[in-house]
Amino acid sequence: MPVRSLRLRPFVRLGRCMQAHSQDGARPPLIQIEAVSRHYRRGVDDVHALDRVSLSIDAGQFVAFMGPSGSGKSTLMNLVSGIDQPSEGMVVVAGQSLGELTEDELAEWRARHVGLIFQFFNLIPVLNALDNVALPLLLTDLAKAERVRRAEIALRVVGLDERVDHYPRTLSGGEQQRVAIARAIVTDPDLIVADEPTGDLDARNAEAILELLRKLKNDFGKTIVMVTHDPRALRFVDHAFHLDKGLLLEGDAADRADRAIQLAAGGGLISTLGDAPEGARRPA
Amino acid sequence: MKYGYLVWKNLWRSKLRTAMTGGAIMLAVVLVCLLLTMPAGMDAMLNDFANNTRLTVHNKAGIVYSMPYSFTRKVRQVDGVAAAVAWVWFGGAFEEDGRVTFPNFAVEAEHIGAVFPDYPIAPEQLADFQRYRDGAIVGRQVLQKYGWKLGQRVTLKSTVWPVDLDFRLVGVIENDRAPHFWFNREYLDQALKEKGSNGLGIAGTIWVRASDPRQVNTIMRKVDEMSRNSEAETASETERSFFANFFGSLQGLVTIILIVTGLVSLCIVFIAANTASMGVRERAGEIAVMKAIGFPRRVIFTTLLAEASLLSIVAGVAGVFLAVGLTGALQALAGWNDMLGPLGNFIVTPFVIVQGLFLSLFVGMLAGVVPSFGAARKPVVESLHEVF
Repeated sequence: MPVRSLRLRPFVRLGRCMQAHSQDGARPPLIQIEAVSRHYRRGVDDVHALDRVSLSIDAGQFVAFMGPSGSGKSTLMNLVSGIDQPSEGMVVVAGQSLGELTEDELAEWRARHVGLIFQFFNLIPVLNALDNVALPLLLTDLAKAERVRRAEIALRVVGLDERVDHYPRTLSGGEQQRVAIARAIVTDPDLIVADEPTGDLDARNAEAILELLRKLKNDFGKTIVMVTHDPRALRFVDHAFHLDKGLLLEGDAADRADRAIQLAAGGGLISTLGDAPEGARRPA
Repeated sequence: MKYGYLVWKNLWRSKLRTAMTGGAIMLAVVLVCLLLTMPAGMDAMLNDFANNTRLTVHNKAGIVYSMPYSFTRKVRQVDGVAAAVAWVWFGGAFEEDGRVTFPNFAVEAEHIGAVFPDYPIAPEQLADFQRYRDGAIVGRQVLQKYGWKLGQRVTLKSTVWPVDLDFRLVGVIENDRAPHFWFNREYLDQALKEKGSNGLGIAGTIWVRASDPRQVNTIMRKVDEMSRNSEAETASETERSFFANFFGSLQGLVTIILIVTGLVSLCIVFIAANTASMGVRERAGEIAVMKAIGFPRRVIFTTLLAEASLLSIVAGVAGVFLAVGLTGALQALAGWNDMLGPLGNFIVTPFVIVQGLFLSLFVGMLAGVVPSFGAARKPVVESLHEVF
C-alpha cells in the first residue's frame, strides 16, 4: 500500500471549518489565538506565562514557537493543543473554541484532532512499537485488525516498518522519536504538536526528525506546531514565532531573534535572546 | 476488553514485584480460607459427635449436680423415648498419673447399647459387658494411648468416690469420637455399699434416645416438666447442644480467629495499596502522556484499578486452590492417621471459596482505588508539569 494512502479518518470531525471556505472564499486559519493570557500561582508568586498573545496559523503550515526558557512557548503549545486553557482570551483550533470545553471534552477533542510528540518520546516500555503506535486508536471504535493496519501504515510513513515488534529499549533515540511521531499521526489528526522533538537527539537524528516533520507537512498536508530551541529548525519551518517573557515578538524584534538564531545555527554562536528586546509588542 | 492487553502488559512491567505482591495476597487468601473453615469445621465436628435422636438430661443447676437415679425410670416411660441410660462421673485416674486423663462413667450396662446404637461396639462385647459386673468398655483412642488389650485388667482410682476399682476390659468403641471408659454402675454401687454407704442412688446425666427425631423437642419439654418443683429440676438439651455448651470456650477461639482474619486482610490491603501506589508513581510520565493524547480520566482510572484488581483476583484464585489443596491433604492425612481425625472436618466449602475470592477482589479494589483516583483526577497540564 502506498504511503500516500494514509487517510485515517476514524472520527466524525467536529470542526472542519478550517477546510471549509468562508463565504468570501478565504480559508480561515486552523489556529486562531486572540489576546490570550495565561497566569497561574506558583507558591506565593503569580506567574504570567503569556500576556495577551494573538496569532493565527493556517492549515498546512509548519511553524515553530521559539524563545528562551520561561518565554511562554510551552504554555502556548499547551493552549494550542488543548492541554491547558487560557486565563483570558480565546483559542480556536479547527473551529472549536477550546476555552469552552471541560477537561474530559478536551481529552476527547485532543484524541480526535491533535497528535502530540514529546522531547523524551514517552513510549510505553512494555508495548512494542506497533502497540505504542496503535495506543491512541484504542480510543476509537475501530476493530483490532484495523487498528493494527493503521499502526503499520503510520510506522511505514516514519520508515520503521521493519521494527514493528521492537520494544522501546531496543530502539535508538531517533527510532523512538519516529515511533512517537507515528503515534502522533496514526489518528490522522488536523494538528501535530511537537514539544522539543529534537531536544534529546544528536545532530544527525535531529535533522532526520525535522526532515520527517517537513515531509508530513509537504506530503500529507499536516499542520505542525513545534516548540524548539533548535536553531536548525528555522531551515525547515514555514514560520517561526518568537516569544520572550510571555510576549510575542513582532516586527524588528522578531527579525533580530531570527537572525540571532540563524547565526547560532550557522556559526555555532551560543545565543540567548537576552532580556525582552525592544519592539516586543504588548498588544493593545 | 480492548484495554485488557494494556492492563495485562502493565501488570507484568515489574515481574518480581508483581510476583511478590501476588504471592502475599495469595498466602493471605490461603490463611483466611483456612481460618474461615474453622467455625464450619467445628460445626461439622459437633455434627459428627452428635446424633439427632439423642438428648441429654442433667440437673438444671449444672452438669456437676446430680439427679435422683429413680428419675431415669420415669424418663423411660415418657412417650417417644426408645431408651435411656444414666451416667455417673467416676473421675478415675489411671495408675500413677493421679489425674483424670480420660472421661470414665458408671453406666447401666443393659441400656447403654440401646441408647448408643451408632457407636460401633461388637454385640458379643456388649454381651460380655452385661455379663461381667467388673467389665469395662473403652474408646479406641484410650485403648491405644495406654497400650491396653482386651481381657486385660485395669485399676482406676476415683477422685470423686472413696473407692479404687479393678476392671476387666471386655469391649472397645471403634471410633475416635468417644474416648470414654464405661463400666457397670452396679459394680460401683456394690463397692460403695461395702464401704458402708447407701450405694449409688444418683444419676449425673441421663442420655435418652428418641424413637423419632421429630419427638426430641416434645420429650425434652415433658422431661423437664416432670422434674418441675422437685429437688432436682432438670434441663434437657440435644446432644449437639450439649457438646456445643461443653466446648463453649471454642466460641471465643472462633471470635479470635475471625478478628485475626480481619487483621490479616487489612495488612494485605496496605501491602497491595503500597504496590499500586509505587506502580502509579513510577509511571507518572506515561500516565501524563496518555492523558495528553486523549485518554479520558475514567479510562485511566479504570485501567489502573483493573491492574490492581486483576492481580488480586489471580492471586486470590491461586490462594483458594492452594487452600483447597491443603485441606484436601489434611483430610487424606486424617484418614491415614487417626490422631489427625478432627482435621478432616476442616474443608473449604463453596461459601468459603466465595468469601476468599471476594476478599481478594476487595483487596484489589481497595488497594487500587486511591492511587488510581489520584492519578486520574489530576489535570493533564499538572501531570505534565510534574514529570517533564
